[in-house]
Amino acid sequence: MKNDTDEILLTANKLRWEVGENFHDSILESIYKDASEISSKVVIQDGEKSKFDLDRFIDRIVTGKWTGFPIMFILLAVVFWITIVGANVPSGWIASLLVDTLHPLMKNFFNSIQIPWWITGVLIDGAYLAAAWVISVMLPPMAIFFPMFTLLEDFGYLPRVAFNMDNLYRRVGAHGKQALTMSMGFGCNAAGVIATRIIDSPRERLIAIITNNFSLCNGRWPTQILIATIFIGGTVPAYLAGLASAAAVVTIAILGVLFSLIVSWGLSRTVLKGEASAFSLELPPYRPPRLLQTLYTSLIDRTIFVLWRAVVFAVPAGVVIWLVANIQIGGLSLAEYFIHTVDPFALFIGLNGVIILAYIIAIPANEIVIPTVLMLTALSTKMAMGAGAGVMFELDSVSDTANILHAGGWTLLTGINLMLFSLLHNPCSTTIYTIYKETKNVKWTMLSTFIPIVMGLLICFFVTQIWRLFVA
Amino acid sequence: MNLENNNCATCPAHNLANLVKLGIDMSNFDYVVALAGNPNTGKSTVFNNLTGLKQHTGNWPGKTVGRAEGAFLYADKRFKIVDLPGTYSLLSTSDDEEIARDFILFGQPDVTIIVVDATRLERNLNLVLQVLEITDRAVLCLNLIDEASRHKIKVDDRLLSRNLGIPVVPTAARQGIGIQELLKNIHDVATGKFICKPHRLSSEIKNVSRAVDELNKKISFAFPDLPNTRWIALRLLEGDQKVIDAVRSGEIGSLRPVENFSE
Amino acid sequence: MDPLLALLIGVLILVMLYFLFKPQRGLVSRLVKMKKDRSRELIEDALKHLYDCEYKGVDCSLNSISGSLYISGERSANIISMLEAMNLISNVENKITLTPEGRSYALRVIRVHRLLEKYLAEKTSVSETDWHVIAEEKEHELSREQTNKLAAQLGNPLIDPHGDPIPSESGEIPVRKGLTLNNLESGKFATIIHIEDEPKEVYAQLSALKLYPGMQIYLLENAKGRISFEADGEECVLAPVLASNITVYPIVEKEKVKESFETLSSLKQDEEAIVVGISKAMRGQQRRRLLDFGIVPGTIVRAQLKSLSGDPTGYEIRGATIALRKNQSDLIYVKRVDRKLVA
Repeated sequence: MKNDTDEILLTANKLRWEVGENFHDSILESIYKDASEISSKVVIQDGEKSKFDLDRFIDRIVTGKWTGFPIMFILLAVVFWITIVGANVPSGWIASLLVDTLHPLMKNFFNSIQIPWWITGVLIDGAYLAAAWVISVMLPPMAIFFPMFTLLEDFGYLPRVAFNMDNLYRRVGAHGKQALTMSMGFGCNAAGVIATRIIDSPRERLIAIITNNFSLCNGRWPTQILIATIFIGGTVPAYLAGLASAAAVVTIAILGVLFSLIVSWGLSRTVLKGEASAFSLELPPYRPPRLLQTLYTSLIDRTIFVLWRAVVFAVPAGVVIWLVANIQIGGLSLAEYFIHTVDPFALFIGLNGVIILAYIIAIPANEIVIPTVLMLTALSTKMAMGAGAGVMFELDSVSDTANILHAGGWTLLTGINLMLFSLLHNPCSTTIYTIYKETKNVKWTMLSTFIPIVMGLLICFFVTQIWRLFVA
Repeated sequence: MNLENNNCATCPAHNLANLVKLGIDMSNFDYVVALAGNPNTGKSTVFNNLTGLKQHTGNWPGKTVGRAEGAFLYADKRFKIVDLPGTYSLLSTSDDEEIARDFILFGQPDVTIIVVDATRLERNLNLVLQVLEITDRAVLCLNLIDEASRHKIKVDDRLLSRNLGIPVVPTAARQGIGIQELLKNIHDVATGKFICKPHRLSSEIKNVSRAVDELNKKISFAFPDLPNTRWIALRLLEGDQKVIDAVRSGEIGSLRPVENFSE
Repeated sequence: MDPLLALLIGVLILVMLYFLFKPQRGLVSRLVKMKKDRSRELIEDALKHLYDCEYKGVDCSLNSISGSLYISGERSANIISMLEAMNLISNVENKITLTPEGRSYALRVIRVHRLLEKYLAEKTSVSETDWHVIAEEKEHELSREQTNKLAAQLGNPLIDPHGDPIPSESGEIPVRKGLTLNNLESGKFATIIHIEDEPKEVYAQLSALKLYPGMQIYLLENAKGRISFEADGEECVLAPVLASNITVYPIVEKEKVKESFETLSSLKQDEEAIVVGISKAMRGQQRRRLLDFGIVPGTIVRAQLKSLSGDPTGYEIRGATIALRKNQSDLIYVKRVDRKLVA
């Protein structure tokens, strides 16, 4: 037996010299020869193909010079508009149930059975509140955004977007499908990173993963809108306020797209230069999407999946948030120590210690950054706001929020820098974990984490210095 | 509802009562079924139809990543079904293709279902012919016949079946059409009721037939029971390390299908 | 701090960081290079040089070693004594030859080098001009196991991208069957399997004719002093001296040597053509992908749809619509067809 197998391998090695390098090509050629023979026998074109081919007609329109871009922008705008407008109401419901109703109820219950206050603090004010917050802010927009995106996908439109956008992405060394993973990132970066699986070329996939964080995700839109309303909207006459703040937010989002292109370009020419690259893009036929199936699968596959990961990360972070605000050494909480230490540096680059601390401890989800900022500002200015140390809160009135921030020493510059920093900082821990899961590589995970944060600090620094030089 | 009940009682072709979707309960299975196919052919829909699971299916090439598994019960037999990643080929060296190839070769499924897009049959046959080089037991699921008829394309499934030597079942998995027939054929092939005579590449491979034949002879001599010696020869000539190792260790000899191992 | 000052310092620091960490020519990478122990590198390069001399049948001296390794005579004398001590070479009366151990060591290094070139060509997007340089550097870093793993991953290739054979694990270098072009008879078909890259002048002439391994030729006439053949639809004439630098392998079955053809990218919307072949410059996964899509000789393709920015283009290939970028369709050769002829 042993002799036989050795003999086989030996013969194989000898014969390999004879078959030469084109062997693989030849095999496929003969397979396809059989394939076309068989299919020519069994496939019958039933009568004349009708002159009007619906697929071709749609293709001509969605890839047309004059019609392609408008259709793409209108569709995306509609998706975003429905998401933002439609999510407000259910978000409010969930928040009023989980945060306004259940939270006090549970707190009272814990108090009534005489559980020590610090246990209640860690569990209810820390862990529970963080999870509740993430769910109420994250769930509704994702539950709206993902099914709509999936409908476009099932219909077959998204590959055409990749097809149209490929020229731009090719120039920066990326794949046209990155346009889609980026759009998905506007919903949620973790979902965007998972969506890069559709890119089958290793180098382009890595680029798409690393740059996904430059898409302003769902958790950051509310921050942008709130800060823009308070600081940008406040600089112009009241009747222009809405327009100005909206323009500011859109500018930030577009800036994000620009950064993603620039970083893609840089990556494909430096660290990822040698990674394998093979472009392929099939344009599947259009198929009528099925509403119920889509709703179900996109809820299960994307929304719940991502939400679960976010909650898992939010719980320990909530505990940490509560602890740093409540553990006191010599009359000052850990949070205050940190804020005071970091303040000189943070103010130098146009931010403040509260913002830095909030971004560090609210790493699991961008959604809890603003509540954390408010809590920390109230804590460090000894303001009697919110529900006590370590309890995140948000205010219904924008002007009350503005008052707190102004009291915390915020200026227009701080507002602008926060908007920039919110775009350019490390991905949330859910996304970082997802990146690690998808790449199985520490180096790429670190790179995706630190590129944006370094960029964010640098840009805040330069903006601040230039601002101080020319404006103030 | 009423109508459906009537159908159940009278018309076996529409009778899905035989099928019990077991979801992910894969205990004590009698047969292993592999599900292969090009990306974007509705493979996951077929999988969901059989198992009752809800894998995401998108109009995108390459949606299923990795391997999904499920189970169903049909005619008192438990089938474990493995959804392989959608690939265009089994010969290239991407991870997905290696997973699919390894499972069909080394996992020795009792039946391999190959899902193809009826509107793009010629392109899909590439994978079909490659699978048939490896395994003797396969069922072709000619999916998306509804789309094909929308494009006025007809596929002669009986002629196709004769050409490929395996059962061919026209389906429209999204509407659940043809699933019953598919189940019956899976069952027949698994139990040996239907003996496949799979198509093997007929056209001569340019310039190299002699080398392939010479090696093929040697392999069939050493492993007379092996059904796919020619394919092994092709893989050896391409320098495929996994196959080389399997030949060296003799593992390749144990890869012939085991008859009804449930009994 | 004064913002202007801060701004200046900031910019300065950025510039400094750039020069510090610039790849290859930055200070940090220079330091790393300087610190690296070069003795293994030198030993292996010297062995390679000796093997090369032996292969070509020329004598090798201390001078030729220091010349090819770019090191001083003193240093190469050092290396030689080290090699002697390791029993890898014998130095009798200033005639340096490889011992059997030395030869198999040299072949192992060559194996790594050629495998690396193959790897770079197939599995990365490193440009063709960089393959040799990178392989030259990395060939000293791989262990035996790593080398075998690399070979397995590549499907145990036999030939590197330049057409040179890759030595086996045990250090055997196979002799390729074939004959030099000047020995091929008239009227025969053959494939170029190797083009000798030394001497440089000859290689430059051959490469100017755009001859490369894997190309099929048809010998028109083999007369004294003049060999004419057809390659890629063009007639070439070579002197026998030049032709002896080309190794060919006769093709048994008669195959059509490619006639003059166009590239797929030249098709306008709704035009059709038959694929004639894929250029050798399309390699690795990218080539396999195209083959999987059914882009093989004989396939009919039709330009179906242009992207709104003009690139990529969607082609109808065996019933499916596949988008290809222009830099891909430039490498696919086609022949235009009359629709009626096909039907």
